[in-house]
Amino acid sequence: MTIATIDLPIQVLLVEDSPGDVRLTREAFRDANTRIVMHVASDGVEAMSFLRQEGPHLDAPRPDLILLDLNLPRLDGREVLALIKADEILRTIPTIILTTSDAEADVVMSYQLQANSYLSKPVQLDRFESLVRSINDFWLTKAKLPANRTLP
Amino acid sequence: MTRNAVHPRPEHARHSGRSGNVASPLDGTERSSPESTASEARYRGLLEAAPDAMVVVDADGAIVLLNVQAERQFGYRRDELVGQQVRTIIPVGFAERLIADGTRSAAEALAQHIGTGIELTALRKDGTEFPIEIMLSPLESADGILVTAAIRDISMRREAERHLAQTVEELRRSNEELEQFAYVASHDLQEPLRMVSSYTQLLAKRYQGRLGADADEFIAFAVDGANRMQRLIQDLLRYSRVGTTGTEPVLVDSGLALGEAMTNLAGAIEDSGATITWAGLPEVMADHRQLVQLFQNLVGNAIKYHREPSPCVSVAATRQDDEVWAFTVTDNGLGIDPAYFERIFGMFQRLHGREAYSGTGIGLAICRKIVERHGGVITVSSELGVGSTFCFTLRAVLVAAESQP
Repeated sequence: MTIATIDLPIQVLLVEDSPGDVRLTREAFRDANTRIVMHVASDGVEAMSFLRQEGPHLDAPRPDLILLDLNLPRLDGREVLALIKADEILRTIPTIILTTSDAEADVVMSYQLQANSYLSKPVQLDRFESLVRSINDFWLTKAKLPANRTLP
Repeated sequence: MTRNAVHPRPEHARHSGRSGNVASPLDGTERSSPESTASEARYRGLLEAAPDAMVVVDADGAIVLLNVQAERQFGYRRDELVGQQVRTIIPVGFAERLIADGTRSAAEALAQHIGTGIELTALRKDGTEFPIEIMLSPLESADGILVTAAIRDISMRREAERHLAQTVEELRRSNEELEQFAYVASHDLQEPLRMVSSYTQLLAKRYQGRLGADADEFIAFAVDGANRMQRLIQDLLRYSRVGTTGTEPVLVDSGLALGEAMTNLAGAIEDSGATITWAGLPEVMADHRQLVQLFQNLVGNAIKYHREPSPCVSVAATRQDDEVWAFTVTDNGLGIDPAYFERIFGMFQRLHGREAYSGTGIGLAICRKIVERHGGVITVSSELGVGSTFCFTLRAVLVAAESQP
C-alpha cells in the first residue's frame, strides 16, 4: 500500500458519451489538478475493453479512479459497475457514479452494486467545478488507495 | 284461464299500503272481460294516464294488462300481448324475479324487488332491443298477486351516461398526459440546457474582459438567459412533481410540518429578523412532504415580501366544519392589489420586476396545486401596505371519532 506519489501522473478513466460533458469534465479536472491524465470511454463496451486492456487498449494504464455515467450506449453504466465490482482485479479501483440522474432508484442500485460514491452533476458550472475539486481532494489526494503501478 | 285465489298471508300486509289506491281491480271479474267493473275501469284509466309504459303481469309471468305507451314502445297491438308471457317483450330478468321457487313464494320473490329500479333489456316486435328500467309494484286480486311494471326506455340516459363516462376518462387521460409531458419536457430539457449554461459560464470565466465590451455584454446576457431558463425548467419540474410524486394523504401533525418548513427557511428567517408565531395547529389528512412545502412557500413569501424591517407572520387553524380545517398564514408585508388575487396563483406569475425580487413565480402555483390535490381550496385576502392573509383548507381527521368543542 502506498499513497500515489507526487511525480507520477494520476490516471482517471471517464466513461461518458456526451462530448460536451467530456470536455467540461476535462476542463474542470485540469483546473483542479494538472497531474491528472484523463482517459475517455464513450460507452460501456469501450470502458470494459480499456479496463481489461483488450483490442486497441492493450497499453491502457490501470486507472486510479473511474468516473462512470449511468446512461450509456451499448453497455450501460449499471452493467459496467456490476462487471467492475465482480472482477477480482478491477474491483479495488474506486468507481464514482457521476450522472445527471437524481432518481432514488439509481442511487440505491448504484450503492447496492458497490459504487464508491454517487454524485449528481450540478447544473451550475461553479458548483460542478467545486464538485470536481472535492473529488480530487478526497479521492486523488487524501484517500489512501491500493498501489496501482503493477497489476496484481 | 283459471286460477286459485290467493289467500291473504302475512306478507301481503306490507304491500297493501303501496297498492291500496288501486287495490283489487280485478276482484270478482273474469280475466277475459276486465272492463266489467268500475274499479277495473278506474285502474285502466290510471294505467293510461301514466307517463311510462305500464304492463301488468300475473304470478306466472303472463301479461294481463298494458297501456297505450307500452303498445307504442314495444310495437305490438294490445290484443297481441295480453295472455302472452312477459318474456316476449322482456326476455330476461323480469319473469325470473316473479316466480316462486322451492325457497320462496311469489309474494316473497316480488317483495325483494319492490320499489327498486331494475335495469334490463327489452325486445320490440321488430326484433330490436333497447335498455329499460322497470319499477315493480304488487297488486292483490282475486286471481292472486299481480305485478304492475312501470317500464321506462333509458336509451337516452344510457347514452348520456356512456358519453359522460367517456368524457371523464378522456379528461383523466389528458390530465395524466399533460403531467407526464411537463415532467418529461422539464427533465429532458435540462440536459441540453446544462450544456448551454455550463459553456456560456465557462466562456464568461475564461474570456471576460478579453474580447471587448460588446462580447462581455453578449456573454452576460447569454449566461443570464440560460440561468433563468434553468430556474424555469427546474420549477416546472417541481410543479409537475406535485402531481407525479405525491402520496395518499395520511394523518399528519401540521405543527410538525410548519416546524420543518421553518427549519428549511432558517436562513431567510434569520436574515430578515422575522417573527413567526403559531397556535393550535391540528392533525390533518395530508401528504407530509407537500404540507411542509406549502407552509414553506407561504411563510417564505411572507418573509420575502416584507414591509417592516422585522416581518411578523402568524399561522393559525380553525375548524371550518366537521370535515374541514381552515388554515391562515397572515403577514404584515407589502400586501397585494385585489386585481391580482387570482393571477398570483397562476404559473410563472410575478408582480414585481426581477431586479426587485428573485424567483420565477411558481411558488403559489405549487401551493394551489398541493391544496387542490388534497381536495381543498386556497384563497388570499390582502390590503396594500398592510399585509396579506393566505387561507387554505385541508380535510380534518376522523370526524366521527372526535368530540366537537
